[in-house]
Amino acid sequence: MSFVPGQPVTAVVQRIEIQKLRQGNNLILGFSIGGGIDQDPGQNPFSEDKTDKGIYVTRITPGGPADVAGLMMGDKIMQVNGWDMTMVTHDKARKRLTKKNEDVVRLLVTRKSLEEAVKQSMGGFPRP
Amino acid sequence: MFCRNQTARATVARGSALEMEIRRGKFRKSVFLDTSQDSDIQKKIDHEIRMRDGACKLLAACSQRDQALEAAKSLQTCSTRIMAYMSELQRMKEAQVMQKVTRRSSDAGPMDDRLPCKGKVAISDLRIPLMWKDTEYFKNKGELHRCAVFCLLQLGGEIFDTDMVIVDRTLTDICFDNTIVFSEASPGFELRVELYSCCSEDDYSAGSTPRKLASKLSSSLGRSAGKKLRAAMEPGPCSPVSNGGAAPLLLPVPSVPGPKYHLLAHTTLSLSHIQDSFRTHDLTISGNEECSYWLPLYGSMCCRLAAQPHCMTQQMMSGCLKVKQCGGDPQSWTKVYAVLKGTSLFCYHQQEDVEANIEPAFTIGINKETRIRASEKDPHSKVQNICISNQYGGEEVTHTLTTDSREDTHCWMEAFWQHFYDMSQWKQCCDDLMKIELPSPRKPAPVTPKQGSLYHEMVIESSDDLSSTVSDILARRMQELELRSQLGTSPTWMSVFEENNAKSAGRTRHCTSRLSGHSPCTPHRLPRSPASPHRCPRLGLLSSDASLTSDSDSHCSTSPCSHHHGWPEPSSNFSLLSSSPSRLRPRTLSLDAKLSTLRGRGYGGGGAFQCPCQPPPSSLLAPLPISSRSPRTQRSTQTTLSCSSSTSSNSSSNSEGSHSPESSEGVPFSRPSPARRSLRNLRARLDPRNWLQSQV
Repeated sequence: MSFVPGQPVTAVVQRIEIQKLRQGNNLILGFSIGGGIDQDPGQNPFSEDKTDKGIYVTRITPGGPADVAGLMMGDKIMQVNGWDMTMVTHDKARKRLTKKNEDVVRLLVTRKSLEEAVKQSMGGFPRP
Repeated sequence: MFCRNQTARATVARGSALEMEIRRGKFRKSVFLDTSQDSDIQKKIDHEIRMRDGACKLLAACSQRDQALEAAKSLQTCSTRIMAYMSELQRMKEAQVMQKVTRRSSDAGPMDDRLPCKGKVAISDLRIPLMWKDTEYFKNKGELHRCAVFCLLQLGGEIFDTDMVIVDRTLTDICFDNTIVFSEASPGFELRVELYSCCSEDDYSAGSTPRKLASKLSSSLGRSAGKKLRAAMEPGPCSPVSNGGAAPLLLPVPSVPGPKYHLLAHTTLSLSHIQDSFRTHDLTISGNEECSYWLPLYGSMCCRLAAQPHCMTQQMMSGCLKVKQCGGDPQSWTKVYAVLKGTSLFCYHQQEDVEANIEPAFTIGINKETRIRASEKDPHSKVQNICISNQYGGEEVTHTLTTDSREDTHCWMEAFWQHFYDMSQWKQCCDDLMKIELPSPRKPAPVTPKQGSLYHEMVIESSDDLSSTVSDILARRMQELELRSQLGTSPTWMSVFEENNAKSAGRTRHCTSRLSGHSPCTPHRLPRSPASPHRCPRLGLLSSDASLTSDSDSHCSTSPCSHHHGWPEPSSNFSLLSSSPSRLRPRTLSLDAKLSTLRGRGYGGGGAFQCPCQPPPSSLLAPLPISSRSPRTQRSTQTTLSCSSSTSSNSSSNSEGSHSPESSEGVPFSRPSPARRSLRNLRARLDPRNWLQSQV
């Protein structure tokens, strides 16, 4: 999902709502993120475009809240509770997900299969 | 005397008889009076007046600025509520006078007077972005200009306020974390959101500073602060109107010295703005730059507005029915207990199943595409049947319902019509049930007051697995330490170990104290940090050490810094075992030096897919004796602490290989403390050749 600077980015997104799990003093979501504008995008194994500095889901703890909510490994997180995630530093992204006073995070995520599903249902031409 | 059409303002003339009556609370005895509704409102008004008096007294008595701000906020809220109740009372009286039916109910009246059901409307995650000018940052070296802001939300007769937030130029958005739920909203609701702000500079209470001094002060202050101060001093165009410039007051608000809030921006939300996700709305901004309470708003507001109409959450109709599916055996009527709720008609075998939460026998969808009609009378029983048709993926499925009596059929038809009407009124809210989280009553985790250093924020994860892991590791370390008795200093982490044993979650501030400036092999968290123990499962002492100390090399150069930062590295940098070459490196403080040493050690590039700490155990043996023999870098060999939890590696640049070494397998859900993370992230960020991963 490459972008042209200055132009709006459009993507097919899925809404995922994750209820945080309370463990002692912590609220956990059960997944790991990678990426950020301060990170090296070339090392992102999940992105199609190796200049994409977005936040990606790199691991899902099986059975955790994120898994239950339908988040998948390799998803790119576009928004968290209304906050944009396409142009944030890694730490900012982590902080947005781990606010202590929030029990629920509502994510907008995108993945390649979504785009393809939409294209196929709209276009109807066979993919090579 | 008053205008009939304006229902939102209290327009009783001052000094009029009606006003006097209301003031004295005597309107109950008035001939216009009605009933319990009026007395409810009167009670509310009385309550608010008492609250307001209390707030005034508090305001007069407060000495501290924040208390005064809070009291002023309560005052503002109470005043607004009083206004709202007054106008509602007014409206009710008018209606009575006009002899209209004043009561609203959700019982269905005659067909044309059908009223939609009410619902719950919730607004949450309010966020208002700010747009500071660069002059605020760069040229204004003075004190921070701060404003206290809060939002008032009004829907129908309910008014709520959010918590107060202090805003200064270090904030990019004003965020209100409250979730406000309005319980009885009709589909045509108007939710008015008002943002009030008040300048929060100490010692600048207008009027208390003599003029000359004020002008002297304002000229010597920072630019924008001075400007605002001047504006506050003179009663300019934005002079405070304490009720936010609303309609003429019925009861004069007592003017109390102290901070006053002014309306900064407002907007009105309605049904069309409801969505099950976050949306941005425009704000109408009042006031201008010269006002003391001004904040540079970007002009929009982001929030989540959700609604749960009662037709989606409550049972609209229930009763016994006989259902037959069309196309089936004409005599196969199934007796069910049916419940109409949300977008379906749930059919249970028996009534008890509903309470018992047993799955219904079957469910008939009732949504916008459903068609319901009454069929011709059944010749035998003279009762009309109700036919419900749905399209299920291209096929039309019809169910026929019949009841025992004509009245029942009529009731069901009524219920269906009402349900359709509700769905048409609430529109998108009836497509699916939106979630509304009730604000949780539990208090958020207590925030430790900052004691000036990150030392105090270190926490050991409280988890059984963790503590046993840590104890194991520490025990092993201790053994090694015996080898190095020449070090002479007892490792400070020993105390941690004891503490660990005693209680798994604890603060380890003392641990770090001794280490300042001493440990080269600091638990510096380099992104390349090795995979967590799960990767190098505890085969033995060395391998686990390897995993834990892998990146020990890093960072001797930053160790002093880390100490100054309070070193929260929990991780296990038992630097003892770090590969020896690092020991010989002189400590340096600069980032450049650190990075160049990294490069020098050929930690190049990739680290991405490999854990650099994969040295076979044997190689680790070598460093061990070496380090023990070389106390010259005495500091370097000193043990570094680690109050570690097994979330040793923090963000690591690796990818699938060592998945998120954030936590050990044993405790998949643990998370390092904020202090550790911040310092760790700081270091990780320092090296641009990483692709960090963090567990959330």
